[in-house]
Amino acid sequence: MIDNLQYAFDGAWRVLVASLVFGAGLPLVYALGIRSLAWGAGGDAEVSHARPNPVGTVLAAVCLAIVLAGVALGITIIAAAGFGKVVSFEHGYPTIVAKED
Amino acid sequence: MVVTAATLILVLVIVTALAFDFTNGFHDTANAMATSIATGALRPKVAVLLSAVLNLVGAFLSVEVALTVTNAVIKVQGDDGAPRPDLVADQGYALLLIILAGLVGGIVWNLTTWLLGLPSSSSHALFGGLIGSTIAALGFSGVNWNGDGSELDGVVGKVILPAVASPVIAGVVAGVGTWLVYRVTTGVARRFTETGFRWGQVGSASLVSLAHGTNDAQKTMGVITLALIASGHWSDTGAVPFWVKISCALAISLGTYLGGWRIIRTLGKGLVEIRSPQGMAAESASAAVILASSHLGFALSTTQVTTGSVVGTGVAKPGAQVRWGVAGRMVVAWLLTLPAAGLVGAAMWWVGDLLGGYAGPIVVVAVLVGLSGLIYLRSRRQPISADNVNDDWDGTPSARGTRTGAPA
Repeated sequence: MIDNLQYAFDGAWRVLVASLVFGAGLPLVYALGIRSLAWGAGGDAEVSHARPNPVGTVLAAVCLAIVLAGVALGITIIAAAGFGKVVSFEHGYPTIVAKED
Repeated sequence: MVVTAATLILVLVIVTALAFDFTNGFHDTANAMATSIATGALRPKVAVLLSAVLNLVGAFLSVEVALTVTNAVIKVQGDDGAPRPDLVADQGYALLLIILAGLVGGIVWNLTTWLLGLPSSSSHALFGGLIGSTIAALGFSGVNWNGDGSELDGVVGKVILPAVASPVIAGVVAGVGTWLVYRVTTGVARRFTETGFRWGQVGSASLVSLAHGTNDAQKTMGVITLALIASGHWSDTGAVPFWVKISCALAISLGTYLGGWRIIRTLGKGLVEIRSPQGMAAESASAAVILASSHLGFALSTTQVTTGSVVGTGVAKPGAQVRWGVAGRMVVAWLLTLPAAGLVGAAMWWVGDLLGGYAGPIVVVAVLVGLSGLIYLRSRRQPISADNVNDDWDGTPSARGTRTGAPA
């Protein structure tokens, strides 16, 4: 029982940190992307009706690329698990390795 | 051709397991799609179709299926997935009766909560049923309450602790996400945010569907394969027969396509009035928590994660309100899941064991069919479908208004 509590606590905070990075971080980047897109479009897209700024469009593309990379990582984790593999982050960037039990 | 009692119960177990998988599908459509349906990001029929296809794909992705699914809560299998030797006499009749009774417990609870429109965990319903039938058959020592202390395991480690932790984690993540998203997009015209976030919502909801397919269809595949091994029709503990994989994948995605509209309505409209930025924040949080948990070996219920996310996004949006009464009823349902499914599982085992032979399993399945029929008839009194799933929560349901005194 005590063991389980410790394992659960240990698992829970790691899940929380990872989920905050991906589950709140990616929506933030996506929101920044939309903000930039509106900045790039100008006029009606913003409450301020400012003039269009092309930098916004570029920034929006960067944000979207980051989000798509995050989604691709998510799909890879799901697919890898189905094939008995895991995605490892030990090198700092994700690599697919055999699952160790 | 003479059908033996052992063959009969095997066939009934397989059919009942597929029926459970089917209820698992429609019970959980809401997890991925309720928010997209509520915000109008997807039309209801399109949403369930997308979710069904992704569940199907997800189920097929599970090349390596855990045959040890029941080990989390009961002790009827060894570590390698082979059934306990003392339960496989008589072509596994004893083991099959435990599984059959447990499945019936899970299905009955899934249908009851669906009737009440309450999202509750299908995995917990299955585990509850199995725990109940195991206690009835083998006593309390047949249940894996705490694991052996070497990892997070047992009823406490795989069901109870994650059930407490996962909705809170998901709620915090969704809340933080919602708050950030609204902060960043102030000053952007609404037409811009609505369209933009709808796309984000559809994408994140799709990830949840895919992850659901890989997780949940596996459980039924494991249960059916266990039954086949126990009865001597399969011997490879490292693989699942292909027809089992196909039929489980189809059962869960057909269930998903049917759509549990009552639950979709509660999750999408009842708990919080959701707008698309919130929907995206909630589904992203759910997807992240589900993936991070399975990556880190932390068992959890998709349903509880999604519900936590939706509540979190309601708390964090300025001016939004959460209907805490609805949330409270859900929590009551979660607390009741294990004991209620367990009681049905135990009762079914007693009936089956008392009658034995051919009659036992037949009566158990007959009771299941009868109860399911009653629940279905009751649901017809106030049907909820793709057409009225998005109606106003407060105004419409005159019948719902009578529920104030109804049990949750």
